[in-house]
Amino acid sequence: MLETGVRQLRMALSMVWGRPFHTDSLTRLVADAVATIDEFGELGLEAREVIETPFADDADRVDHADRSLRRTARRLAELSPFYAEWFAAHGFQARTADATTLLGLPVTTKDHLMSRPRDFVCRGSQPHLATRTTGTTGRALEVWLSRYELEVAAALGALSAVLHDELHGGDLMQVHVSSRATAAVQLSAMTCRLVGARCRVLGIIAVDDALDALAGSATTMSVNASYLAELVVAAQRRGLGPADFRLRRIDCVSEILSPAVRAAAEQVLGAPVSDNFGMTEVIPVTGTSCSAGHLHHDLTMGHVEVLGLRSGVAAMPGELGTLVVTPYFPYRECMPVLRYDTRDVVRQLPGPVDCEQAGIPATSAVLGKATQLIEVTPERVITPRELVEAVEDLPSRPWPARFHAEPEDGRLRIDLPAGAVAGLSNAGLTDHFAERGLDAQVRVLEDHRAPGLRRVRSDLRELSFAAAEPVGA
Amino acid sequence: MSTPTSATLPTLLALCVAITGTLITIALCVLYLRRVRMDRPAIGTFNGSDIVVLFGFIVALPLFYLILPLTPLLVALGLTFTSALVIGLRPMIGPTATWIVVGIVIAANIWMGRTMLGTVVGWQLFWIENDILVVCAAVTTANLYVQGGMRLRHVAWFGLILAVYDAIFTFVWPVTNTLAQRFIGWPFDPSVGFRIGIYNATIGLGDLLVYGLFVIAALKAYGPRAARGATIIAVLCGAVVPALLPVLTDVFIDARTDVIVPAQAAFGPAAFLYYRWLRRTYGAERTMAGFLGELDVDRPSTPALAASVP
Repeated sequence: MLETGVRQLRMALSMVWGRPFHTDSLTRLVADAVATIDEFGELGLEAREVIETPFADDADRVDHADRSLRRTARRLAELSPFYAEWFAAHGFQARTADATTLLGLPVTTKDHLMSRPRDFVCRGSQPHLATRTTGTTGRALEVWLSRYELEVAAALGALSAVLHDELHGGDLMQVHVSSRATAAVQLSAMTCRLVGARCRVLGIIAVDDALDALAGSATTMSVNASYLAELVVAAQRRGLGPADFRLRRIDCVSEILSPAVRAAAEQVLGAPVSDNFGMTEVIPVTGTSCSAGHLHHDLTMGHVEVLGLRSGVAAMPGELGTLVVTPYFPYRECMPVLRYDTRDVVRQLPGPVDCEQAGIPATSAVLGKATQLIEVTPERVITPRELVEAVEDLPSRPWPARFHAEPEDGRLRIDLPAGAVAGLSNAGLTDHFAERGLDAQVRVLEDHRAPGLRRVRSDLRELSFAAAEPVGA
Repeated sequence: MSTPTSATLPTLLALCVAITGTLITIALCVLYLRRVRMDRPAIGTFNGSDIVVLFGFIVALPLFYLILPLTPLLVALGLTFTSALVIGLRPMIGPTATWIVVGIVIAANIWMGRTMLGTVVGWQLFWIENDILVVCAAVTTANLYVQGGMRLRHVAWFGLILAVYDAIFTFVWPVTNTLAQRFIGWPFDPSVGFRIGIYNATIGLGDLLVYGLFVIAALKAYGPRAARGATIIAVLCGAVVPALLPVLTDVFIDARTDVIVPAQAAFGPAAFLYYRWLRRTYGAERTMAGFLGELDVDRPSTPALAASVP
């Protein structure tokens, strides 16, 4: 008990003063939390405050961000070849950096990372694991993480999971993300190990194999939205229902999760689905969704800005903007980024929120990639989320949504496979989209063209000799 | 501690004080465990490292008490008792009433210790008040540890180590004797005692704490039946045997003719053997959550095996 107090103090000092974490102490703190639950059945009161930085008011929030940004920028100026050059080129003073002066520095883009990856690796750091973006929206990007970063991210993730009762020793986590996302896979396994849970990493395999493993076994599942949609369709085809599963939570990461798929997943698999934001380049900064559908951003580990898509400055309430994220040191140390433009589009909320996470700044859920926005008229920009939600809400339940959309004569033209529009007339289809705020004309294509219409992560099938499954089946 | 001018009365007095003190402490410890939930840290449970730290304090504190001048020593003891009472009473009667009660008890102890020790009746009244203070401190501390996750295994090992410690610090380096002499006649004497005529008999706070710990840890781990066995061991090996031993041998009589018996030397090994027997018979100990889930249920003698197939 005394040791636990010392470990909490060490962690708190690292979080407040920005000193590197003592990973062994952090790991043991997870074990202490697990032992506490084993002994008492639950943690003591105010347990969540152990890892959540209290941002009771805006002044605290700004102070934390300013100090963390200054610390991060000073380290980058000293150790990162790219940022040393970048700061000098733009006259950015790392010593006096804060959330305001940061606005004067241009964002870092994926192109920067792709073109000069070695210059982002900090001097003296020890790269340990390369992780890749899945590349569904372009070329795959490789990011190196140090062993320290993985251990810190896993320990803090495990601690958070235990404190929020998201994972415990009796759980079996089934992981369905691409095996190329090594960081996500490794962090899942490390988190389970720290908590004492079991971990089954299956990747994007044949859905029937995944269901066979899932049924009556796994208690939590980490999955992409498109693969979740396929699992739900397969489960319904096989007549499976909540009684066939032991799931108690489903964590959906990346991709757009539509309300239709979410509701069906909760009904068929019998567990609540959480829709989270995470991205390889900005590990470990994440966002979590609340019951009102807002995306609440992690303030402890990173700085999150929303920049207007056209203006490039802080987005106004109601305006569409891109998420720009800066993970703080000491959470990232090997290949960190500053002001990384994720190109994930969100909308600034019009005012204060009153959901269960009201104290944490929020935006709308991710609406899609900036490159996939469709400008029908200068006043009307259609987001990928609007399209996915409208298509996945069709009576035929064509999950995951396969479509192609583009502006045509001041309207939206949506190409859909025949199977998706089965049972609906042209007028019916127009009405369906109109009810969802989309003035669209639908062009019906043959079903075999469906997989080529829209790439999703469940397309990254990992085949086996035993069960060769056609992609997109 | 008694002055043995006659063997029977001091022995009977020592026996009565030890048995009464032990039984009252144990009974209140059990009652408190069953009725009152103490605050605990958000994360953390009592473990082996805490035993090491605790033992370090037990070794260091008496030496510290010996070198400390009297006034700072009394202040330190007063703060210790105040803390223990506040921690123990607050969950029962709330913060305001707690501070009023603690203020009265502490003030009364100081006043009685300074003004009432001129007569036998004064001594007896002081002992009664001091006994209340000491028993409350033992009950609170025992519950703080057990409700904080201390297990019977920890208590058994703790008792075994204390047995060696107690013997060494009684016979080889008589720290216990010196401390007992230093405390008597002053407020905050960390002993339960009573006086008849010229005889004072006491049993130490540390002894009572270990007996209370042992019984409620057994209750938590294995249920009421195990706790009853632990009570018998605490009374027999912790109170009766130490009180009667001076009748059989004068090895416990020091140069001042005070009788100092290292009670843990008899209790520790017996407690440890009892724990081993319980462990072998009933299997793994219950957790605090398990205890609260089945408060009056004895552990079955055949432990169930947990299935763990994905």
